[in-house]
Amino acid sequence: MERSKAFGTALASILLGGGALALAGFALASAAPHQAALHCQETSPGNCTITISSYPDALAGEHGTTGGAHPDWVSYSNDNLVVPANTTVHMTIDQYDSGGALNNSFFSKVWLNGAPSTATYQFPSTNGSTYGKVQTLSGWDTNDIGHTFTLRGVPGNGTPIFVSVPLPADPSTNGSAVTIGSGQYAKPVIVNFTFKTGSKGVYEWNCEFPCGGSREGQFGYAMSSYGYMSGTLSVE
Amino acid sequence: MTDNKKKGSLQGMFWTWVVLTAISIAISLWAPGRFMPRSMSGSMHLTILTIVIFSVAASPVAAGVYAAMVHLLRHNIHRGNDVPEAAEPVRENAVLTTSWVLASTLLTVFLLVWGLGALSVDDGSNGSNPLVVNVTGQQWLWTFSYPGTNVTSPTLVLPEGRTVDFRITSEDITHGFWVANMGVQVDANAGTVTEIHTTPNKLGGFDIRCTQFCGLNHAFMVTTGNVVTPAQFSKWLATQSQLQKA
Repeated sequence: MERSKAFGTALASILLGGGALALAGFALASAAPHQAALHCQETSPGNCTITISSYPDALAGEHGTTGGAHPDWVSYSNDNLVVPANTTVHMTIDQYDSGGALNNSFFSKVWLNGAPSTATYQFPSTNGSTYGKVQTLSGWDTNDIGHTFTLRGVPGNGTPIFVSVPLPADPSTNGSAVTIGSGQYAKPVIVNFTFKTGSKGVYEWNCEFPCGGSREGQFGYAMSSYGYMSGTLSVE
Repeated sequence: MTDNKKKGSLQGMFWTWVVLTAISIAISLWAPGRFMPRSMSGSMHLTILTIVIFSVAASPVAAGVYAAMVHLLRHNIHRGNDVPEAAEPVRENAVLTTSWVLASTLLTVFLLVWGLGALSVDDGSNGSNPLVVNVTGQQWLWTFSYPGTNVTSPTLVLPEGRTVDFRITSEDITHGFWVANMGVQVDANAGTVTEIHTTPNKLGGFDIRCTQFCGLNHAFMVTTGNVVTPAQFSKWLATQSQLQKA
């Protein structure tokens, strides 16, 4: 009788422990990026293009026109980017947000595939009616940055993929020039750059401009939640 | 228990202790080399050696505990509901208690002296012409700059055989700068610069991780480093300087 009681207790403990582990796993999986995948579109063999945007709120991206749980949080349009392996990715980012000073000037420079490089920038005029000429730049004023797109490499994964591109603050003040979702914005700064992917893997990216409010060194809120200023780039 | 049985069981306990000590020493000698990161500096070599020495020194003690446990489980289990006879107390066995206290004291003093000696070793403080590297942690990347040049890099490149003086800080919250292969681990605190030295003595790559939980992407705050020959280092620095001049 005592043995069967002990056996029952042990079994219940194992089931409870397993249940707790499964619950924790489910919670962690739910916290991972979950937005619809945005695939890089092939333009020619070995080349593809992908476009995302950075907004001053969450009214225009994957959170829907209501902006989801935090409509006032800054956000990228998509946090789940998918690109092919061993491909040249031509990436465009439309930057709609204002900006300020970086806390580390390193992120004001353009880095592609682990080396200093250049990106092309096209700025709208102050009233948003025209665009200036396309400029090829290796960086931008560290005190005038809107966001950065910073993609980390994975140690031991072959090709260095490290990408960090500063996205200048939008100089246009005509805040109702463009309507996307339920948000109204000035014309964006258009940033183009190219990097090569290597082997398959999932890489993490985020913004390195301190735009997450007053928590955790201004890296809280939108900076510390998937679906806003960070996401993944899956190389498949 | 008869005297003969008692003698036999104590002999069994002794041989169990001998076998377990031998196994533990063998694991202590083999496991660090198998599971610890490859040593790339004097401080990491000393760290691994300390782990080996401490494990070997602890082996007879751990084996003694396990041998006693096995002995008790084999010979001193009481079955039934009646009150067992009181066991013979060992606290009055002068030889046993004196040897135990003496052995424990000697081992503890040895570990203390070794530990203090190992802690006092500063791998690189005597190096002439140290290479200064400013290490900056921020959520969720490391950057490395080389004073006297315009070079800043997201990966760490070091020359072999030259003392490196890391000056570590953080731009935001506390991070942990950990180069396991070099036995370097120190917190990166905002507003404070912490210095630590090491001298890379092996060529090759290594990883750098953050050891202080620092938010969403803490697990991905990992980058790579590489120890190269002095000539390769000079070339890398010149190339980076040229590339970053623009």
